[in-house]
Amino acid sequence: MRVRFWGVRGSLPVPGPKTERYGGNTSCVEVRSAAGTRVVVDAGTGIRKLGKEICSDGDGGPSDVHLLISHTHWDHIQGLPYFSPLYARDNKLSVYARKRDDLHLQAVFASQTDDPYFPVPFSEVQAELAFRELSDAAKFEIADVKVACARLNHPYIATAYRLTADGASVVYVSDTAPFTDILFEDEFVEHPPLPGAELPDRDRQKLQKMREGVVRLCEDADLVIYDTMFTADDYRRMPHYGHSRPSDAVDVCRDAGARRLVLFHHAPERTDAEVDAILGQTRAQAACIAGGLEVSAAFEGLEVELGRG
Amino acid sequence: MQLAFWGVRGSIPTPGPATVRYGGNTSCVSLRPSGGGLIVLDCGTGARNLGMSLMDGAFGQGSGEASILLSHAHWDHIQGFPFFVPLYQPGNRFRIFGRAKSSAMLEGILEGQMAPQYFPVQTLKNMGAAIEISAVEEGVPFQVAGCTVRARTNPHGRAGALAFRIEEAGRTVVYASDAGYGTGGPPAASIDLYRGADVLIHDSTYTPEDGRRYAGRGYSSVEDAVGAAVAGGVRRLVLTHYDQDYTDADVDALCARGRRLLDERGGRSIELAPAVEGTTLTI
Repeated sequence: MRVRFWGVRGSLPVPGPKTERYGGNTSCVEVRSAAGTRVVVDAGTGIRKLGKEICSDGDGGPSDVHLLISHTHWDHIQGLPYFSPLYARDNKLSVYARKRDDLHLQAVFASQTDDPYFPVPFSEVQAELAFRELSDAAKFEIADVKVACARLNHPYIATAYRLTADGASVVYVSDTAPFTDILFEDEFVEHPPLPGAELPDRDRQKLQKMREGVVRLCEDADLVIYDTMFTADDYRRMPHYGHSRPSDAVDVCRDAGARRLVLFHHAPERTDAEVDAILGQTRAQAACIAGGLEVSAAFEGLEVELGRG
Repeated sequence: MQLAFWGVRGSIPTPGPATVRYGGNTSCVSLRPSGGGLIVLDCGTGARNLGMSLMDGAFGQGSGEASILLSHAHWDHIQGFPFFVPLYQPGNRFRIFGRAKSSAMLEGILEGQMAPQYFPVQTLKNMGAAIEISAVEEGVPFQVAGCTVRARTNPHGRAGALAFRIEEAGRTVVYASDAGYGTGGPPAASIDLYRGADVLIHDSTYTPEDGRRYAGRGYSSVEDAVGAAVAGGVRRLVLTHYDQDYTDADVDALCARGRRLLDERGGRSIELAPAVEGTTLTI
């Protein structure tokens, strides 16, 4: 299978000369199996260019895209109204995301393009749309691609996905905080806990189970794409915003025996030079792992071939 | 008065090497009147950089005040709002003016963007600064930062977008983004709003050819912008809101086209400048 990165940034798109190399578009990763099944994870602004490519594909036939959404914060869905396959008949788009008790998935996407926010209402989408809501530990198949899910630690809750095809596995773990200091559920944590504050036992146990679920999802993976938006200092200042440090990703990959880590969801303020530096430090940390862990930093246009074909 | 351009792109931010010179952030312009204070025109992603630049001054101390004028609530005009850092500093005070049937409805529109399914902060009330939200009454002048502001709705596809005329001590700036006049050109009331402005910042999303191709979308071509500037007898025309697919070279050509069109259509004396992210213009 082939993994391609169309958007690697967190929070909001950041155009400009300081982000030219890694790219300023928000989260979007495409996974294509050798048989041609197309799974896309998240629909940040990076999905706009993917859509253009799909529409200009040589065969000109209808497209069939399966879109897995980690969660519906803007930087993971804001590109969808600009995904051109939506506006052509015969194309198909299936959207998958975690089921919530309070809000149906379709409503979340419909209000994104409602008046007064967007000129083209959802009702005018011409592609055939399907919405599928998932349980926290769902397992299912999309043609030849096997999908498994795990719950993440992020405000309003996010989902990690493992995709397996062609004898290889890639895991997408974004967005998540480490599983140590705060248990995120639906509410905004207005103030960060004081340093050294004790977690209630129930929260600690729940976090421990959540981390075990993520480690299991990453077990022996060929590639793990991980939210590493925060530096250690960012995390000290803003633990209540729900993002990890590179060291958290390295620890999970080590425990899971994963082969390669891709740092992902770069902070909007992170310049290309700063991402270079973070990558260097993380490679040094990963070098200590027995069996080895290859580390790269996601950039727009990065392609990784895994397994057969 | 000093204008600064923070976002000049339409529809969606366009990061990448092809847009580095003009910039890829969506609509945001700031205006500093000579008597002090700050007016922000639209809150596209450009507002993030504006917000960070303000934190060195009063806004970083919690004693900043500004007025935000929103032309309309399409994403490219409000999506930078949740990332405008001075809004998170308790003590800062903001007045927001925009287009809605009531102030409560305008607040609802902004709250919709902050809702938990879309943004972790979940509500404007978690932001920290004092925010006062008012729906604009068309044609009724109001005062912000020592300036008199008059607004009127331009046609914009199925919606409408406010254009703002801002006057201070005989100096006038007009901001008219997202205007789709149709074949008849700008209505008389729009021309009246633009009349004699020192600077008209005008929607120039398309080349004349693309403008005709996408006529129903509610945007101006550079030809429409030139028509509005000539009809209003303005001194200077600033083009903005470039299409998301236009490269820097395309925008170069768009501006050259604008100059030729001005010369051909009775606007030889009108100065023309493209809006460029990160630049300022003093009036």
